[in-house]
Amino acid sequence: MAGHPVVRAHSLSKSYGSQRGIERLDFTVESGEIFGLLGPNGAGKTTTIRLLLDLIRPTSGRVDLFGADPRSDPAVRRRIGYLPGDLRLYERLSGREQLNYFAGLRGLHGLGRAEELAARFDVELDRTLKTLSKGNRQKVGIVQAFMHDPELLILDEPTSGLDPLVQQTFHALLDETRAAGRTVLISSHVLPEVQRVADRVALLREGRLVLEDTVDALRSHAVARVEATLAEAAAPDAFAGLPGVRELERHGLMVVFAVQGEPDGLLKALATHRVTALESREADLEDVFLALYGKPS
Amino acid sequence: MPRRVLTRTVRDSGRSFGGFAAYIVMIVAAIVSIYPSLGHNPSLTKLVQSYPGTLKAFIGFGGVVDYSTGIGYLGIELFSLMLPALLIAAGVMAAARAIAAEEEQQTLDLLLANPISRTRLLLEKAAALFVQLVLLAAVLFVALAVSTSLAGMDVTVAHLAAGAAAAALLALLFGMLALAVGAATGKRGLALAVAGGAAVAAYLANALCSLVGALAPLRQASPFYQYSVVDPLRHGLVFAHAAPLAVGALALVVVAAFAFNRRDLA
Repeated sequence: MAGHPVVRAHSLSKSYGSQRGIERLDFTVESGEIFGLLGPNGAGKTTTIRLLLDLIRPTSGRVDLFGADPRSDPAVRRRIGYLPGDLRLYERLSGREQLNYFAGLRGLHGLGRAEELAARFDVELDRTLKTLSKGNRQKVGIVQAFMHDPELLILDEPTSGLDPLVQQTFHALLDETRAAGRTVLISSHVLPEVQRVADRVALLREGRLVLEDTVDALRSHAVARVEATLAEAAAPDAFAGLPGVRELERHGLMVVFAVQGEPDGLLKALATHRVTALESREADLEDVFLALYGKPS
Repeated sequence: MPRRVLTRTVRDSGRSFGGFAAYIVMIVAAIVSIYPSLGHNPSLTKLVQSYPGTLKAFIGFGGVVDYSTGIGYLGIELFSLMLPALLIAAGVMAAARAIAAEEEQQTLDLLLANPISRTRLLLEKAAALFVQLVLLAAVLFVALAVSTSLAGMDVTVAHLAAGAAAAALLALLFGMLALAVGAATGKRGLALAVAGGAAVAAYLANALCSLVGALAPLRQASPFYQYSVVDPLRHGLVFAHAAPLAVGALALVVVAAFAFNRRDLA
């Protein structure tokens, strides 16, 4: 699976005065993998992606794309397909005119894979873009990102605005893309999506990389999700400070925990209360996320 | 690499420039067509001669106020203000759109994710502005040549071409200013305001400073002075006065490229 590094962030920082940017990100995306950049809105996913594309410049640190600095070598972007999180197209052009424009800039003969992809996503290329729905514009955005069959795809929240059926088509396209040995960096705040498509994930929180691992390892990191229902409400700090245990939320008498490692400490603490129901299940990424963040994303 | 951005930009602003072209043709045709009934009127010349200096400074062109000849009439009615104002408006509006509107409409991110450097993008946008103004100047020239010949005015075709070129060169300078402000800040409104304000200030400085001897050196800093001090309709394009405008426009492109390359896009 792992090949040579395609994307490399070296201690990448971006500060915006008082606003939070990102701080000292280090990560590598290897060729042939799908790398998920995960985090809630405002965590710095889009900032990271725009740094990779040289649309904004790092305060410190460095980016390598295919071993080159994207700033000194714009030609490297011929090997990249990009779908922005907040996609804006040339409203007065038709989809075909916009695709033609970009095909020319990328040195493509004709429209590359655009016709095939447009047919697959069922999007009309001859209509003026401003007459298309948000979902259909997003499809045009996907088509332009994939039309030149790039080696690296950088996709910022690619399925936003797509209905579930189209999301399936998109996921199938991602699977094919990986099978063809392409590399994908995909950002999302939707955990199941990343869990479904990515090989590895990096969790971003408040501009910092809090975790980077394979999806499998993350799941095994594991955290179990334990829901205990008590006969009487426990004191707010009743379960504070237990090693490996984080209280996530309370719904009335039910308390939800994320438990990492042995559940022994939690069980002993629960034993001092009358427990009317107890449920435990394997964690999905959502819980890993909650355990790390301590609050819902 | 073919000049995709240049051709796309010229094509996209076709409607706007077409509108300006039509307006210029109408104005030229209307103004020139009434010349036969006004131009040879000695009492009008006398009336204008009796105007106060301030007024003459504003309406005159090439240092003279002369209603008695075709050249003088064209200078006063068209070249002193109307034509440069139209060309400047067309150029500044297009230039403010070039980078800043793409940035405000957020199409710039996707455009620059293509294999094109910021410098190249900016140079093609600047070249597009040049092409647009050349086309507009060509329309102006044809309108002038046809209408003055129909009206029987004593102006040579070469001098009409020089006049159209001088006005377009002036517009190019203010256009590049708008491009530079837009490229440096990403703000279309600011680009319009700075370039438009500079054009108005330059016009006023040229007219007002001609009235006050002490302010004469200031006047020479005005692009309108360089444009109008030697009437291109009488003397053609004079290198010493055209060169500062062209050099200024080029310098602004360099500044624009430098500023555009150094900053974060919005």
